[in-house]
Amino acid sequence: MLDAFSRAVVSADASTSCVSDINALKKFVAEGNRRLDAVNAIASNASCMVSDAVAGMICENQGLIQAGGNCYPNRRMAACLRDAEIVLRYVAYALLAGDASVLDDRCLNGLKETYAALGVPTSSTVRAVQIMKAQAAAHIKDQPSEALAGARLRKMGSIVTEDRCASLVSEAGSYFDRVISALS
Amino acid sequence: MKSVVTTVIAAADAAGRFPSTSDLESVQGSIQRASARLEAAEKLAANLDNVAKEAYDACIKKYPYLNNAGEANSNDTFKAKCARDVKHYMRLIQYCLVVGGTGPLDEWGIAGGREVYRALNLPTAPYVEALSFARNRGCTPRDMSAQALTEYNALLDYAINSLS
Repeated sequence: MLDAFSRAVVSADASTSCVSDINALKKFVAEGNRRLDAVNAIASNASCMVSDAVAGMICENQGLIQAGGNCYPNRRMAACLRDAEIVLRYVAYALLAGDASVLDDRCLNGLKETYAALGVPTSSTVRAVQIMKAQAAAHIKDQPSEALAGARLRKMGSIVTEDRCASLVSEAGSYFDRVISALS
Repeated sequence: MKSVVTTVIAAADAAGRFPSTSDLESVQGSIQRASARLEAAEKLAANLDNVAKEAYDACIKKYPYLNNAGEANSNDTFKAKCARDVKHYMRLIQYCLVVGGTGPLDEWGIAGGREVYRALNLPTAPYVEALSFARNRGCTPRDMSAQALTEYNALLDYAINSLS
């Protein structure tokens, strides 16, 4: 497992040179608190994000919860919720580390083959991950949609910066995209 | 590669939980100290060749017998290899400064070092002398800030201890 710093070291070692791009790491350090807030935003809203993503996936494809569907009966629905939480957890780790290696090594490696063997439909899984991607962006920006959240609207209430952590939103998005491309 | 962040993530993963507040605080502590480390890493990278050259010269000065025929520094090829080894240690120390832990030194410098030096019949005392010279050469504020120098010296001490 690597983080942003050890990633720089490993790539410098490949050419037996010193780590020269210190400025990128300084930026990482300077924006460290934003990153921690972003991870906290995901971790604090995790169960809500997971249940909404899976519920959204099922709403768009009711066949999943009818007899023969992949979220029927409760046992398989529970497995689905658990898997969504696992994916979200590894994305949170990757965002904390600033590097995708933990996500790749511990979550995505072999996931596609496992799902193929278990008969889990890829398109539905991808849809749930896409919903979590949108939710993560909303929570990192601290701009959850009032129209969609309704009475369940929940804000972190932390002080947000001018750009609403655009770089972290896109970084988190890239980890979700990584999950999607690993599955499809 | 072991660092504060990867240790925290590994522990959270073993427990199957999201990063907790205390996890985030550990990472924040590491990030707060990072600016001094990165300063030292930047300065060391800029002067790596000179630092390594001075350290190498110092150890040959202390152990001139190495220049005798058949010894480890007796011809140009050997001299270049000795200088390269010292530079190698300094580079690993720079990596450790970047990572914020001793992972690179442990994995790429210390692991197996004893066996290699024994197999090649190399003395470790000159390496210790070279690193000790670098350890005592750094000066604040001429070279870097006090906190950066502390981090740098701590890693040199770690490397010296591993060799002695």
